[in-house]
Amino acid sequence: MNPFETLGLSPTFTLTPAELEQRQRELNRALHPDRHATKTPAERRRALSMAMDINQACRTLSDPAARADALLALLGVDRHSAETVTDGALLMDMLEQRENLEELRKSGARDGLLELRRNMTERESQVLSKLGECFEVLLGAHDQGEARPLDTERSAGLARAQRLLGELRYLRRLTEEAGAILDEA
Amino acid sequence: MLLDIFDPKAPPKAIGIDLGTTHSVVAHVREGHPVALSTCDGGPLLPSVVHYGEHGQVLVGRNAKSYLTRSPERTIASVKRFMGRDAAEARREGWGTNELVQPGSAEDERVVRFDVGGRAVTPVEVSAEILKSLRQSAADQLRSVGGAVITVPAYFDDAQRQATRDAARLAGIEVLRLLNEPTAAALAYGLQTRQQGTFAVYDLGGGTFDVTLLALDDGVFQVKSTGGDSALGGDDMDRAIAAKLLRAIGFDEPSAAPKPVLALALESARDAKHALTDRQEVELTLPKSGGGEVQVSLRRDEFDQMILPLLERTGKAARRALRDARLEPAALDGVILVGGATRVPRVRSYVAELFGKEPLCDIDPDLVVAYGAALQADQLGRDGGEALLLDVLPLSLGVETMGGAVDRILPRNTTIPVSARSTFTTYADNQTGFDLHIVQGERELAKDCRSLARFTLKGIPPLPAGQARLEVSFHVDENSLLTVHARELGTGVEQQVEVKPSYGLTDEQVEAMLIDALDNGEGDFEQRRLVEGRVEASRVLAATERALAVDADLLEGEERRRIEQVIIDLERSLRPESGANGARLEALTHALDDATNAWAGRRMDRAFQSALAGQEVGRVAQTVEHARGVDAHVEEHGKLR
Repeated sequence: MNPFETLGLSPTFTLTPAELEQRQRELNRALHPDRHATKTPAERRRALSMAMDINQACRTLSDPAARADALLALLGVDRHSAETVTDGALLMDMLEQRENLEELRKSGARDGLLELRRNMTERESQVLSKLGECFEVLLGAHDQGEARPLDTERSAGLARAQRLLGELRYLRRLTEEAGAILDEA
Repeated sequence: MLLDIFDPKAPPKAIGIDLGTTHSVVAHVREGHPVALSTCDGGPLLPSVVHYGEHGQVLVGRNAKSYLTRSPERTIASVKRFMGRDAAEARREGWGTNELVQPGSAEDERVVRFDVGGRAVTPVEVSAEILKSLRQSAADQLRSVGGAVITVPAYFDDAQRQATRDAARLAGIEVLRLLNEPTAAALAYGLQTRQQGTFAVYDLGGGTFDVTLLALDDGVFQVKSTGGDSALGGDDMDRAIAAKLLRAIGFDEPSAAPKPVLALALESARDAKHALTDRQEVELTLPKSGGGEVQVSLRRDEFDQMILPLLERTGKAARRALRDARLEPAALDGVILVGGATRVPRVRSYVAELFGKEPLCDIDPDLVVAYGAALQADQLGRDGGEALLLDVLPLSLGVETMGGAVDRILPRNTTIPVSARSTFTTYADNQTGFDLHIVQGERELAKDCRSLARFTLKGIPPLPAGQARLEVSFHVDENSLLTVHARELGTGVEQQVEVKPSYGLTDEQVEAMLIDALDNGEGDFEQRRLVEGRVEASRVLAATERALAVDADLLEGEERRRIEQVIIDLERSLRPESGANGARLEALTHALDDATNAWAGRRMDRAFQSALAGQEVGRVAQTVEHARGVDAHVEEHGKLR
């Protein structure tokens, strides 16, 4: 089941951590096994299994990249094609930034690392907001039943979402690596 | 003694048990407040020491403790440090005053066995003796004891938790829940003081250290992260002092000292540690090998220096937990101290420096965990009561991949219960079996993590490499216990295996211990099965009746008739004159479970729907179907993590 459906949420990319946490609490209040300790074994099993799915869905949706994956799946995009980055310019950029990070790691330039991380984080928030707009259009069309497979606008939108998702993934990886180097130093 | 579980006149009372490294406590809730029950020693604290006498008698508590220096080889203290550990880990520990049985095989190697005068006992059996004593004390005071919430260190892994559960089973205790110690402490504080906010729990016990960060908000206790070290505690402080004492009498290497000398040094060390809580300096007297005695003095600042490396290990775990929870110390509303070792003044000052605020210790740090366990036991009897505990998985779970790396399926600090799936594929042509190795821990390589289970899924049709696909799913329940399912997807032929990780003792071995422990072996075991069968049958009957009173409208077709038929059969078998045995009751209870299964699903779906409906309108409460065409949900973008 799609994680949005598991949580009874309408599909959207713009979901705040606070909203998600709120929903997690409300649903666990109803379905956490501790709430059914005196029920029949069948009910306890069912509650446990639903609570497991609910918490897993929350974990998925709390990660923007996984959330984008879930939305793409809802829009009918195969998971594997969503994971490959085919954009040449993006690939070049990735390589460049990686070399940059490697040099900073060797030289141990703390300021440089901090700046790199700041840049990555900034770009990340831009990508997130672009992804939000992109999904809004895609999901709006989807909801109005305009999801025709040959709709060129739609496939352009999906391609854009996938490209942004690829970019998001690599930005986060770089941010994490820069963070790890900073933590070690 | 094992047969008085069920007194039909009084409703059984649920209890909470803190099974500690140094001492254990049993508590229950009386008129809404947790109360520690007195143990066989009189007070609330039962030393977690077990003595196996020469004539087969078993002593627990203070009596057993008096044998620690007289007969160390037959007396076991701090057994919690060995729970769920393998023999190699116990040898590395090196400090035990007990002889270990040399493992005869690789399988034997997976569990520690103490040699007590020629008899081999496992940590599970030793812990069961402590639990039995506590249960008996509770039964003496409460008349009828129901199930128990038993606490474990938050940082206990799956093997350590399984071992604890087996110990309870051996002691004839029904485990309502394994509850993490810091969460229990937070529950006790939260329910007593009605505070809201974000708290850190710093729990330094005799042998384990936990740090937990959690948010208390409107009755929900949500753990944000947890960290720790399941082999770090007050015992290590004792060892540091004992090492100094042993050097003074000529043993540079503590393990070179004879067991009775070692036991004596550890005892003096413990006394010195306690005395230094109120004093600046203590004098210790120790008999010298070959006669005479030696005087050693220890100043508090010297002791503080000795334990600093231990405190720094706690600091490291605490900082990681803060990072995992994305919290700064300044964001905390309070720090709660738990565990006897937090009485050490240097520990308190260290905690204050670490979190930048004075810690709370309004509730006795030795009792607060048992109080929390009792409160939780009480709440479970009321289907959760007012508070909801949302805890986390303490250590990541994963699968070993080609090359020995770990593929993490569930990362640490994931809210539980939770399930996750991952798909694997074959790496060789015509491969007909999958070897799966389940591990737990944070290290990169599988060999550095704890091995929980290994199994082979056989009978995969021969296919080119990468064609067969294996889906592995992990299910972690509310006790943090794992079950693994694996099925082959590639061919559409579903074959499924279910694995429960084991820490070295199989279910059969535990059952054999259980039969051994009873006076009349098999006969008593049958009797016990009958008693347990009756309790369970009555419980399921009552639960079914309650469900019928609420949600009978969700029954479909023949369901009601079928359920009623099984109820009649079960009620008949519960009458004393029916002569039904344990197996018969189990079978009928199972039949009732089957008959109510589909209906239970509909009841829970209703609970889900009403949870959604219970929310404010304007806050997007609709399900996906209802939300079609409505997308007024443009709000602030997801925060960067």
